[in-house]
Amino acid sequence: MNSSHTQYISARDMGVYEPINQLSMFADFDENGWPDTSPSLLVEVDTKLDNQSEDTSHETAGDSIKYEETNKRVDKVLRRLAQNREAARKSRLRKKAYVQQLESSRLKLMQLEQELDRSRHQGTYIGGAIDSGPPGCSATMNSGIASFVLEYGNWVEKQDRQICELRNAINADLPDEKLRVLVNDGMAHYSDLFRMKAKAAKADVFYLMSGMWKTSAERFLLWIGGFRPSELLKVLLPHLDLLEQQCSDVYNLIQSCQQAEDAISQGMDKLQQSLVDAVAAGLLGGGSYIPQVANAVEKLKPLVSFIDQADHIRKEILQQMYRTLTTRQAARGLLALGEYFQRLRSLSSLWATRPREPA
Amino acid sequence: MQEALPYKTWTSSYSSHEGTSSTSAMKAPTKEDELKKMVSQNAVIVFGKRGCCMIHVVTRLLHGQGVNPAVYEIDEKDENDVVGQLKKLDAGKDDELQLPAVFIGGQLFGGLDRIMATHISGELIPVLKQARALWL
Repeated sequence: MNSSHTQYISARDMGVYEPINQLSMFADFDENGWPDTSPSLLVEVDTKLDNQSEDTSHETAGDSIKYEETNKRVDKVLRRLAQNREAARKSRLRKKAYVQQLESSRLKLMQLEQELDRSRHQGTYIGGAIDSGPPGCSATMNSGIASFVLEYGNWVEKQDRQICELRNAINADLPDEKLRVLVNDGMAHYSDLFRMKAKAAKADVFYLMSGMWKTSAERFLLWIGGFRPSELLKVLLPHLDLLEQQCSDVYNLIQSCQQAEDAISQGMDKLQQSLVDAVAAGLLGGGSYIPQVANAVEKLKPLVSFIDQADHIRKEILQQMYRTLTTRQAARGLLALGEYFQRLRSLSSLWATRPREPA
Repeated sequence: MQEALPYKTWTSSYSSHEGTSSTSAMKAPTKEDELKKMVSQNAVIVFGKRGCCMIHVVTRLLHGQGVNPAVYEIDEKDENDVVGQLKKLDAGKDDELQLPAVFIGGQLFGGLDRIMATHISGELIPVLKQARALWL
């Protein structure tokens, strides 16, 4: 039935839309926007035009009518072509968006696989990054947090290596100069962590506050997005072999630390209270709560400062210990600290994999 | 000898002055004098935004040391002005003045960061003692 020849050329092959006189070369598009091979409507129109020219029945009086009708058909064809162009353009945009989505998903998948590998390898449990959020939590991690989680994984690995080196150095009774290098490395490593955390806090402060990047036991002991400094000092104290003259300094440090923690905690309580008040203002007001919620957003902004201050305290405590202790004591202190965190991580894994009674 | 001042809170209230003669045409001189007076009259004074939870952190820490700081809460609309004037009171430094800001013994001491750092290193108490903010 198809007397005129229509060539099938996909729109992809033609970089540019050809002008109207090549209408016979257009292909139609299926609903998904991909070019398809079904005969185009154009073909029918094409055929009609051809037939029209061969039609002799309405010759004389209908000449002008024929002309009009031909014009109408040409219009229809033009409109049809325009629609096709539009459809093809939209299809290209959709395809582009789809491909971009695929690419980023692929990247995320690679990152997740790396993490899984790493955690299986070490027997450590990097919670949160993958799935252990509470049910119903949409674990949409923004890229700042995704990269933080990756970096933190690397940080833990490096930490473990440093701990080993420290242990070996202390057991081998290396001289102070060698120990000093390792101690400085350890201190710098902690600085790195605080730097990473500061960046992550800007990306998503709630994520940092939740401690989801840490293992479950560490999370249990969480204080404002990290370890509680006074608790650490108390853990370290018996292992430091303090000299008489150091004792009062260290006890004062523990006390100052507790006071600082207390002040921050109280500030946080106030923040929570003001947030609760802001969110709850005018309940049962009938429907729109946009202004209250918008106001509550303002109340949340200081959270980043609180994490900053808490990390600031952690940093200062470490610095002060560094200043107060001898090289050997500092080395033992860093080793003890590292081992403590390793044990907590190990506890988290052990807990997660403990044999359960059948339900 | 300065007595320990009771815990007082001043609120910043700008009253518009039309046609006041002043050497500095930009700001109402009364406000500047008021701030100067408060900084010099109080051994420790904390300036901060109204409702800011960090003010609470600073005052809690200072209370823990036995200090009763004065607190000056700044309304949002006055913030830029007051910060500008506080910077003038602190001669020599061109850095940004962060709120909350603590003045000890009439001098700008710093923000929460500095308070925390000096508290932990043990340097805060001597400074407070010297400013007669506390004595033991």
